[in-house]
Formats: sequence, structure tokens, C-alpha cells
Amino acid sequence: MATETNPETGKLEFFLDVPFPSSREATIALRSLSPDREPRRGGISKQLSVSGSTLSVRWSADEARILRVSVNSFLDHLSLVVETMEDFGPPVDL
Amino acid sequence: MTVVIGFEGSANKIGVGIISDGEVLSNPRRTYITPPGQGFMPSDTARHHRAVILTVLKEALEQAGLKPADIDCVAYTKGPGMGAPLVTVAIVARTVAQLWGKPLLGVNHCIGHIEMGRLITKSNNPTVLYVSGGNTQVIAYLERRYRIFGETIDIAVGNCLDRFARVIKISNDPSPGYNIEQMAKKGTRYVELPYTVKGMDVSFSGILSFIEEAANKMLSSGQCTAEDLCFSLQETVFAMLVETTERAMAHCGSQEVLIVGGVGCNQRLQEMMGVMCKERGAKLFATDERFCIDNGAMIAQAGWEMFRTGRVTELEDSWITQRYRTDEVEVTWRD
Repeated sequence: MATETNPETGKLEFFLDVPFPSSREATIALRSLSPDREPRRGGISKQLSVSGSTLSVRWSADEARILRVSVNSFLDHLSLVVETMEDFGPPVDL
Repeated sequence: MTVVIGFEGSANKIGVGIISDGEVLSNPRRTYITPPGQGFMPSDTARHHRAVILTVLKEALEQAGLKPADIDCVAYTKGPGMGAPLVTVAIVARTVAQLWGKPLLGVNHCIGHIEMGRLITKSNNPTVLYVSGGNTQVIAYLERRYRIFGETIDIAVGNCLDRFARVIKISNDPSPGYNIEQMAKKGTRYVELPYTVKGMDVSFSGILSFIEEAANKMLSSGQCTAEDLCFSLQETVFAMLVETTERAMAHCGSQEVLIVGGVGCNQRLQEMMGVMCKERGAKLFATDERFCIDNGAMIAQAGWEMFRTGRVTELEDSWITQRYRTDEVEVTWRD
């Protein structure tokens, strides 16, 4: 986890890796958290990906304020997904 | 047998309901209530929903006596409504749909109200008055769409009532509208207010500005009581709604009216609409606060109808939307 200014683009970047018990759960989290896009002209972009059992998120923003709002909101949503998995999981066999 | 679970949280109510072939198996709900003089803000409302949604979901399953495996489809409100609360609820719906291996289905909130009203009242093809804190529409069904005959050109009737309640500090518990209704029963003097019907459309923002400006002056000078203002406001805005509904009925040749939405449980509105219906030889259908006010079962019921005609929402298309008009949805489940 770190915030850095990309020297080429001048944008603030933030990376987050979230470990899950399995790749199945990481993929469920990815698919629950990706459909709602960031505002198109909001000066921020967010990319989610899964590698193994890790969910990775990568932000790129023009301003620290916008980045903070987006990261905060993502963490609220992520913890809701994790709580939902704890209470109503594990995932059924497909 | 088709069992659908519905998640609703587009405004200050959070509800989860389960419907099995027209039968409501469970429908628990919580309301985010703010102090007098304050409205509900999106981020605070979302926080409220986050804190209780999993408890409400457990209650829904327990009261229905069902296991996740018994459910056929997970429906949730796609819109319209406040963004932050909508996202919160959609995220839980998406997660359980995947955990349980069930199809997901995004439902238009307004369609949820209409289908729940039709189910509960068994009305056949009614002219619908949809009145709530966020919406005011007169709707008639024609050729696979719920068509909007008339609507508010600014704020919703419920928003007008809620904001009036804030001006004179009426409690938001259980809801501002309910408290205005009770106070209005004790009102004796009619204070004249602007009456704004424009063709098939209505407007409430001018009435609100007028009463916001006048209320405290009139109250402090003893010209009228708070009860008189509640009475006058209800009589004026409900008369506007009855007038436009009647005109829509005349256009459509309809002999049924269905009132849905949170304001729809107001007894005075039902009474006034009843008088108009009686004069026309038409029939009035309305429900009580369990089904009028936002709830999970209404999303489950609209979802049930949609799912039975083969509709589902892929996860990548399951984004929420703050604007989503009633007439955008193709009604595949009616002739």
C-alpha cells in the first residue's frame, strides 16, 4: 500500500492488494465491486484485477481529495463484501 | 414454484423480502430516521444501510423458513434513487447471488411499486398514481410499457411534505408524512396555497417556497396553527393529484385507480381519490404501509414477473443508476 506521484503522468497513484481465502472468493469480490464505474470526468480511474487469491486495485487520480474519497468508499464496500462472505458463504460448488 | 428474494435500499428504507408465486414469505425492513428539521443525506443513509443489511437479510431468510438453496433468483433495485445507498444494497445482492450460485436481476424501483400494488389489490389494469418522497407520476399501461401520463415538473409530492415538516420541526419518526397526516386531522382553517396543475403535470416547488416563507410568520402572529397548515397543504396537493389522475382515467377510459408509493398510505389522499372514483363509477385500490412504503418484497415481486419471462442481469451490467424512468422498462410479463 503506497501513494506515489507518477513522474511521467504527474498523477497520484495508489495500490492495494487484498488477500482472500481462495481465487474463487477473490473473483466474487472483483465481480461485486467492479460494475459501478467511477464518474467519467471525475479526474480518477480505478482498475481491479485478480491474480491467484489476491484482489489488486490500482487508482490514478488528479487530486489527493478525490483519491481519498474513492479509496474510502472502496474500503467501505470491500468490508461489506467480506462481511457478506463471512455471514453467507462459503460459495456453493458450481 | 419460483422463489425470488428482493433487496431495496434506494432511499432511507432498507428492506429484504421473499416472494414465492405471489405469496409474501417475509418482508423485514428498517428506516433511517433523522432528527426533526433534518433530511437524510446519501452517505449517512448508505452507512445506515451497511450497518443493518446483513441482519435484515438473515431475518428475511429466517422468517420465510428458507435456505439460500431454496431461492431461484436475487433481485435488487437498479434505480432510480440515491447513488450511495443503491450501491451498498447492490453490492450485497451481487455477492450473495455469486455465493449461492443464483442469477441476479436489476429491477426498476417504480415498477416494483406498481407490481406489488397489482399483486396485493388484485387490480387488473389500473391507472396508477405513484406518489413518494422521490417520485410523483400518473401512469397507464399500454403496449408493453408503463407510460407516464403526467408527472411533477420539479419536486415530488412527498419531498414537498417532508421539507415542509422540516420547516416547522415536525418529527421524522415514524415518517414526516404520517405526522403531518395526524396533525392535519386537527386543522380547522383552510389557508389558501398556490394550486399548480399544468396540463397533465403538477408542480410542488412553488407551494413549498410559499409555505416556507409564510409558515413561521403566520404561526408566530397566531393567524393559523401548525395543524391548519398541515391540513391546508394536504388538501391542496392531494386535490392536484386527484385532478390529474381523473384526467388520465378519462383519456384511457379506465375504471380502476391504484395508488402506490409512500405517500399512497395517506388515508386522506385515499379518501379524496375515493370520492372521485365514486362519482365516476370507478374502483379505487390502495395498500397499507407494509407494501406502500419501500420494501424488499416489491422488488422481489417485480423480479419474479421479470424472471418468469426469462430476464436476468449479468454481473457486468449490474451497475446502479440514479435516473431510471418507469417507461424505460419493457414490460415482457403483460399482454
